Amino acid sequence: MQLLRLGGAIGLVLARTVLHLPKLDRRELGRSLFLFGYKSMPLAVGTGALIGSTVVLQAGVYANKFGTRQYTGWAAGYALVWEFGPLLLGLMLAARIGARNAAELALLSVNGQIEGLRGISLDPFRILVVPRVLASAISVTALSTVTFLVAIAWEGISAYFTLSLPLRVFFNSFSELLGVGDLAGGILKSLAFGTAIALVSTAVGLRATGGARGVGQAAASAVVMSCGSIFALDFLLTPVLMRVFGT
Amino acid sequence: MSELLRVSGATLVLFARTLRSIRREGLSFRQTLVQAYALGASSALLVGMGMTFFGVVVTSIAYAQARKYVGNVTILGPAYFELIVREFAPMMTALLAASRSAAATSAELGAMSVNEQIEALELSAADPIAELVAPRLVASVLSMPALSVIGIATASISAALSVTYLFHADGWSFVDPRFIERGDVLCSFVKSVLCGAFIPLIASVRGFAARGGAASVGDAVTLGVVGACMGCLVIDFLVAATFLVIGL
Amino acid sequence: MTIEINPGTKVVLWGAAASGKTTLLKTLAGLIRPSSGHVRWGHHDPAALTSSVRRELQSNFGMVFQSDALFDSMSVLENVLLPLRKRRVPEDEARARALEAIERVGLTDAMLKRPEALSGGMKKRCGVARAIVSRPSVLLADDPFAGLDPATEKSIAELLLEVSRGRTLIAALPDPVDALPADRLVHLTQGELT
Repeated sequence: MQLLRLGGAIGLVLARTVLHLPKLDRRELGRSLFLFGYKSMPLAVGTGALIGSTVVLQAGVYANKFGTRQYTGWAAGYALVWEFGPLLLGLMLAARIGARNAAELALLSVNGQIEGLRGISLDPFRILVVPRVLASAISVTALSTVTFLVAIAWEGISAYFTLSLPLRVFFNSFSELLGVGDLAGGILKSLAFGTAIALVSTAVGLRATGGARGVGQAAASAVVMSCGSIFALDFLLTPVLMRVFGT
Repeated sequence: MSELLRVSGATLVLFARTLRSIRREGLSFRQTLVQAYALGASSALLVGMGMTFFGVVVTSIAYAQARKYVGNVTILGPAYFELIVREFAPMMTALLAASRSAAATSAELGAMSVNEQIEALELSAADPIAELVAPRLVASVLSMPALSVIGIATASISAALSVTYLFHADGWSFVDPRFIERGDVLCSFVKSVLCGAFIPLIASVRGFAARGGAASVGDAVTLGVVGACMGCLVIDFLVAATFLVIGL
Repeated sequence: MTIEINPGTKVVLWGAAASGKTTLLKTLAGLIRPSSGHVRWGHHDPAALTSSVRRELQSNFGMVFQSDALFDSMSVLENVLLPLRKRRVPEDEARARALEAIERVGLTDAMLKRPEALSGGMKKRCGVARAIVSRPSVLLADDPFAGLDPATEKSIAELLLEVSRGRTLIAALPDPVDALPADRLVHLTQGELT
């Protein structure tokens, strides 16, 4: 029942965002891009570096273990970065952007400031919601590209140092394994994740009531629901994207 | 950078103080159960559903790869299954539980802190760390491996089923337990215990630090969740590196 | 600068918002470690004590918090009982003392209600009851009249005067008020005492 109501709220946010797109407030968009995108940069870079090195470590385990099947291990490693990058970053950003967005909106609504905006005949959707949804979608897409590049670079570097695999060999085998279609699939996925995070956290944030406790709870449930919807989207999108871009 | 050092320092200090307060005041069994229930029960569904989806996604990637290079998807099974046990399941479980429980903990302690309830507890001769942190720490350390097992089980079952029914290959040889060694299980276990300890600590540090109004509670949640997720990634990496070095 | 407070005096600490009144009160009670300078309880320095001894001596302080700091999941009675239960006072005695404190602040009729069902003035009364139930020698009140209408303010001031008989009272206020006559007025501006 709760879920249904929230689903309705999310649909409403989505519909109004699309309707308001032409009258976008550019200054707010800039602010949100800075807040969501630029400020999450260290997180994206850190995640990329950690994923990259962990993958190499695991690949090292395979090299020791499966011997001749080393190649299989590497194949798994690439897919890992590929599938894992957007998913893991999506979860991290659900925490970072989702919690922050929900907390901010919840704060405005428990303080009655959203009603206040309506009172001076400013449309809260145009100022608060549309720029955020757009900024979140753009930021997550851009950041996941950054994460991907960092992860690959880092993977190459750690492979060089831990497994003494020459960089050229690494990147050659890499370009064999990954095509443009894979990249496009990953980018579309991140776009979907970014939109989902913004829609869910906005819907949750606007419904918050009840002081400090309410703000905290809104932020907490925004994170959880964003994570849940990311998993669900990943599940739904992967087969579709594979059919479209797969070889 | 100095912020990073400060927060990790604060987390370690809180860990030490929590252990000391458990030794001094004992542990409220009831509170621990309540917390274990709150953490375990609420995260179990999230972890189970997430990992079920994840199992399908992983196998469809394996299938795409197999079609491209290897031929039969089950050949990739051992590598993927080991990855699930050793890496994916503890990691994803920890991240999901991190968002779930770190968010709840920092939200609750943050609101208490802003409402001066932590100080009211202190003046009531109660030890806030023994009351609030210790049960969460113990509950989380105990339930994280259990959640991780749920994650492994659901991911493996859904992987096996999707290989069998979606890709028409032998699903149960894709998840063949013969390729799982003691080192894999141990690595997985160590990861989930460490993440289980870290998550409530960092969330409590951020919650206790909330001062001022409702805005600071929102900030505490953001910082708590991000810190918990990032910390789990770092723990994952460090444990993986350690196990590689000692060769398990 | 030094402020010395003798037992039994009524001190009003006043100053604008964010001048450091709350911080000073909490530092006096040993809830905050001073970033510089010292607090002395008699000849003890709370920052130098082990936490169990500090907690022991802290029972000399009762505090009425600005945000009331009541626990919403507990009734008025349970809120007032909390300090006694945590000090392991026998249940019968604790109950008797809590009932007495609740009667003293005039909340007997509402004692089974939860704080969220109380008015602002009643919450304050509940906070006062919790602060005095452990029989502290110093009662601290942080902006006890915030958000209250003049009539309620007057009744809370009378209550504070009544319950602080035989105790030291230190109240932090934005301005000195007639309803709460002080033995000593201390003005705090930007962290400076005058």
